Amino acid sequence: MFLARIEGTVVSSTKHPTLDGCRFLIAQRLEADGTAGLEPIVIIDWLGAGNGSTVLVSTDGDIARARLGNTTPARMVVVGIVDDLQTRKSAMRGNA
Amino acid sequence: MRLGIVRGHVVLNPAVTAFRGKTLVVLEPVTMENLRGGGKSLIAIDALGAARGQIVAFTEGREAANPYWPNAVPVDAYCSLIVDSINIQP
Repeated sequence: MFLARIEGTVVSSTKHPTLDGCRFLIAQRLEADGTAGLEPIVIIDWLGAGNGSTVLVSTDGDIARARLGNTTPARMVVVGIVDDLQTRKSAMRGNA
Repeated sequence: MRLGIVRGHVVLNPAVTAFRGKTLVVLEPVTMENLRGGGKSLIAIDALGAARGQIVAFTEGREAANPYWPNAVPVDAYCSLIVDSINIQP
């Protein structure tokens, strides 16, 4: 699992059938020093994470398989929205 | 899932039987700088029919083989969706 900052949304009309109706967000992984990763990631969100919020992303596909079926290629899923984060100097704060 | 630009297609002959009839694409992962390419390229299975130049989101790892469940297919990257648009609000 890792923390990521939501940057926006992704729209797709052609996708794997198990992904129909899913909400896709584009996010950047947060490193320990508060910087963002180089490559953006696309994650599935069922919790309603907003733009700019920091979320906890799980890369285990089991939660997606339980919800979308055994044949889903979904993997990265928002499992929580960060309310408060305490680190030294709040280094990993999403708005850092 | 990461995002990648389709740069081309791969034809295998011969290939393992599990790969028969499957389309392989060459992907260039995009970076956050204007969503241009720049990542290390990789090959993914594409069942959606993505054309050259389109951006797809691809799944990596064990989950990439899930669409072929319960068959065992040696896949580690799978195109899950073709991107229509990306909306980034600063």
